[in-house]
Amino acid sequence: MEHSLVQEKQKTGFSEWMLRLPSILYLVMMIVIPLIVIIQDGFREGISGLVHQITLPIAWHAILLTLWTSALMTIINALMGLVTAYVLVRYDFPGKRILNAIIDLPLSIPTLVTGVMLVMLYGPQQALGSFLNESLGLQIIFAPPGIVLALLFISFPFVVRTVQPVLEDLDRSQEDAANTLGANSWTTFRKVVLPALILPTLSGGLLSFSRAVGEFGAVVIVAGNIPLKTQTAAVYVLGAVESENRLGASAVSLLLIAMSLFVLMTANIIEKRWGAHQ
Amino acid sequence: MKNKKLFCLPILIIALLLVSCSSKTRDQAADEITLILGAYTTPREAYSQIIPLFQEYWLEKTGQTVTFEESYLGSGAQSRAVVEGFEADVVALSLEADVNRIQEAGLITHDWKQGEYKGIVTTSVVSFAVREGNPKNIQDWIDLTQPGLEILTPNPNTSGGAMWNILALYGAALRGQIEGIPAEDPQASSEFLCQVLSNVSVMDKAARDSILNFEMGIGDLAITYENEVLVGRQTGKTYELVIPTSTILIENPIAVVDASVDKHSTREVAEAFVEFVYTTQAQEIYAQHGLRVVNPEVAAASSDMYPKVADLFTVDFFSGWENIMIDIFGEEGVFTQAILQVQGGE
Amino acid sequence: MNKDKKGLGAWTLILLVIIYMGFLIIAPIFALIKGAFQDSFDAFWQSLTSTAMLDSLWLSLKIALLVVFIQAIFGSLIAWVLVRQDFPGKSILNNLIDIPFALSPVVVGYMLLLLFGRNGFFYPVLDALNIKIAFAVPGMFLATLFVSLPFMIREMIPVIINLDRQQEYAAATLGANKWISFWRIIFPQMKSAFIYGISLTLARAFGEFGAVLVIGGGVQGRTETATLFIFRSIEERQNIEAYTASILLGAFSVLIVSLADSFKNAQKKKQKMGSIEVRR
Repeated sequence: MEHSLVQEKQKTGFSEWMLRLPSILYLVMMIVIPLIVIIQDGFREGISGLVHQITLPIAWHAILLTLWTSALMTIINALMGLVTAYVLVRYDFPGKRILNAIIDLPLSIPTLVTGVMLVMLYGPQQALGSFLNESLGLQIIFAPPGIVLALLFISFPFVVRTVQPVLEDLDRSQEDAANTLGANSWTTFRKVVLPALILPTLSGGLLSFSRAVGEFGAVVIVAGNIPLKTQTAAVYVLGAVESENRLGASAVSLLLIAMSLFVLMTANIIEKRWGAHQ
Repeated sequence: MKNKKLFCLPILIIALLLVSCSSKTRDQAADEITLILGAYTTPREAYSQIIPLFQEYWLEKTGQTVTFEESYLGSGAQSRAVVEGFEADVVALSLEADVNRIQEAGLITHDWKQGEYKGIVTTSVVSFAVREGNPKNIQDWIDLTQPGLEILTPNPNTSGGAMWNILALYGAALRGQIEGIPAEDPQASSEFLCQVLSNVSVMDKAARDSILNFEMGIGDLAITYENEVLVGRQTGKTYELVIPTSTILIENPIAVVDASVDKHSTREVAEAFVEFVYTTQAQEIYAQHGLRVVNPEVAAASSDMYPKVADLFTVDFFSGWENIMIDIFGEEGVFTQAILQVQGGE
Repeated sequence: MNKDKKGLGAWTLILLVIIYMGFLIIAPIFALIKGAFQDSFDAFWQSLTSTAMLDSLWLSLKIALLVVFIQAIFGSLIAWVLVRQDFPGKSILNNLIDIPFALSPVVVGYMLLLLFGRNGFFYPVLDALNIKIAFAVPGMFLATLFVSLPFMIREMIPVIINLDRQQEYAAATLGANKWISFWRIIFPQMKSAFIYGISLTLARAFGEFGAVLVIGGGVQGRTETATLFIFRSIEERQNIEAYTASILLGAFSVLIVSLADSFKNAQKKKQKMGSIEVRR
């Protein structure tokens, strides 16, 4: 499957520019200009001003919280996404079609609704919530587990849907060969199937990480917003915007943008390399 | 050719949407006018009753129908929004500082603190919401340092209510009204603040969010306005109100936003509304919704709902909002330092 | 494709997946539905008639449809240009497209404030023209447009890459101009991706919250989308209304995306069976 974007060059004639110009203008207007504006605002007091804002203890903690909850979620998601994709592709069982359809639900459900649902399920007055709270001392709502849970929900499809097609297209002959030679299914999986799946899992994982870092709607309902405890970077930016700390808002936003860009570009590079291998 | 016809249909739909979507020019004909109110969250219920009364009054007086557009956000957030471009004609906020911010942005050009009531339309006091039966026996500020107690209070960054809460606590300590804490000892008072903050389990965006969390079963007590507790109880909630012996008087301002009313030509009706809220009618509604009022007759009539506070102080104790914003909530302020100290250990 | 035989290991995995998805995705959805009906069926029906809710749903729909219209055109256009053309700066643009996907919605709202707020870059011009963007519907529209940008483009690119060039050449040889070539040969191949892209864009637009919260102002009946309404309802202790609106919003989005997905699968099956659509 062709992943490269370079196809045969068309002569750059009038009709080409008719298409190209509006496209470039649209992208510039929609993305480049807002970016420029926020970069300009963030660097208003120079790089030292920006660094100062980011390293303010409350801001810094929010950033770290965002990073570790997103990372933890990504690891769980990668694992479960891989298993889910495997189960869906390789096995038949009752309810499989429904399960397959459910996977895409998080993509269409508004994130705010996700937050509302989680509070409905795990809030301390709900059966499940109070059970977890009292018997296990586990607090979900207004604590980091709630954040990780919300992130898991919204990112669920990403790994599954990146691994699934690869698994479907996998050439079974190598596995059959390994089996014939006496390898048990775990070894076969480990040495034949898994290597092929590492790159798509990684790619899907990076995608879900970059998505999670910026998540707002689900987290703001679920997380509790305590500075230095349960306040994520996105919610911090909201607080900064609402309390006139514009430099703080721009600075942390820029950091978030940079992180997302970095992760996305890494994912793109991985996708190219993986495409090249095929 | 079928394609072209199908293509036309969506275009038609979109065109219709565009037309209905565009901001309709407000009919500023003599008989219709729109007034935009930007308020904080607490008096939402009160305004839902006051506004219809005013609409009636204005219709009778001038024959003009006034439609209201209302926005309710955290006081700071609302103030911010107005500064950033939300064209509220009248603002009713939680603290003077939030109105000052709008004034400093050049949007309020008259002296809104002039007048009989100095621009303050309602008041309330910082108090506690506790569980039915007061199981933890909370009577006063000192009880907030009980180990293992879970306290809710909103985040001062986004909530005017939160600032009042911190000021009440810190002020009571500074005034020597808390056992074991000498008066006028900032060090000891800060220590006390830290102790209480270390019991805080959730700091939500606004006062309303805070009490809603409490209703959901989070925490043992919520530091909040007396008003929020009373309104909640009116909807059937069973938590109880505890007023500490020393607390701060929360003064809620209301003001006309000159820039907006001049732009919308709504000055007359806006000023009339700001006058209307002081009438006995309106003040009684505030009183019914848990707010202490400035109108002396209504205040006297509602005194059993609103017990006298033993030691009631105001922002003047801190020498005004400007100093508060720096000394207490600034980057090096008392509160910021306290939060860092408390959470830094995590 | 031959499926594996299922031993104990297989069933453990299957069970694991079912339990995981059950508790992660299905349980919350059930909790929401239960919440909407927790008072009584009547209360649920009542909430369906709340004017504020209906107004907010209508505003969300209007904004979403307009957004979809713009993205359908520009998204396809950009995808086409990125695949079929080569020019300096192309790969930078390609990376830029993914930014809205990862960007926090609050940041988006803030960027728009920087542009259109009272102290914003474009404010003087717009104010002189009496055009309101911030704290008005146009601002919310722009915010929604921004966050939904990547979906259409990313859906269309693979399809355009895989277009059957032979047919295009044949058509060109036979004298068809670019327009006919597009409608009769190219577009039919893109149909299902186009529709799926639209559904994703619609769902995303419908669900936008953070950005419209910052730039919208939350004026009841004027700048309140469905998501803002849900948020406000929770604050006003109108829980039933919040849950009802959540269900409506969620169900609608899910429905649209599922329909588009089935359409896509149906198209895939058709292609697999070897039928090629040349004329409609």
